[in-house]
Amino acid sequence: MDFEDQLRRALERKDPSADFAARVMARATQPKKPLAWVSWRSWAAAGIAASLCLGALGLEVEHRRKVEQEGRVASAQLMQAMKITSAKLRRIHKRVQGTL
Amino acid sequence: MIGSLVQEVGIPQAVAEADRSRAFEAAVREHQAMVFSVAYHFLQDHAVAEELAQEVFLELYRHWDEIESREHRIHWLRKVASRRCIDQARRRKLRNHVSLEEAPEPFTWMPAADPVLKRFIEQLLGKLAETPRLVVIMRYQEGLEPAEIADVLDMPVATVKSHLQRSLALLRRKLSFATREGES
Repeated sequence: MDFEDQLRRALERKDPSADFAARVMARATQPKKPLAWVSWRSWAAAGIAASLCLGALGLEVEHRRKVEQEGRVASAQLMQAMKITSAKLRRIHKRVQGTL
Repeated sequence: MIGSLVQEVGIPQAVAEADRSRAFEAAVREHQAMVFSVAYHFLQDHAVAEELAQEVFLELYRHWDEIESREHRIHWLRKVASRRCIDQARRRKLRNHVSLEEAPEPFTWMPAADPVLKRFIEQLLGKLAETPRLVVIMRYQEGLEPAEIADVLDMPVATVKSHLQRSLALLRRKLSFATREGES
């Protein structure tokens, strides 16, 4: 027999179990799960997850705002200190020039 | 079931649902051998093939309204069955898979007695890589032409032809080796 014919015979269609169609029908037409209950739980879970996300986001924003503000204060203090130092240095410089 | 449907959705819709169920059941009975055989020849496991075929039909039930004709349904079933076979094979890949190229030459002679030879060819087929295996199944189980296979499996016709040529050469070599061994 030709090899391709052998292949065709080996690959002939086979039937599944006798109750295959009945099992498919049972699964296809089985009553759906109570949607209200499912959606109540899903909505609750989604709500909790969203609250947690928003909370975490809020904390992060607040933290960044605080760090930025601290940075601005520190920067202003540094500028102030530099101005004072500069004024003092100018005064000392004048005195030194006066004595010479 | 129809009684509860009537209560739930009213008579016209219940009748439509019942018609749909009847038509779907007829489609399952008509195509179950095709879908199951694609899965069985690909996976070589009766239980897993039945489970996969069931999933294919359940997907058909969900998409029932999109199917335009019997030809469309057959094409759709072949396409979905093939896709699910590939997915299933990838999930099972962890199993000690040996490709046909790597498989040792069989050392026992396979007599020409049909059932044994058929089983042997099935086993050889199971050693082919996923895509060429599906191509061979579509060609020799379903009798599709390369262009039709290309359409079902979403690949160029040239690729289908090359898979067919290589797979046939490989299968023929393994088979003739087994037969020669037996005769000598």
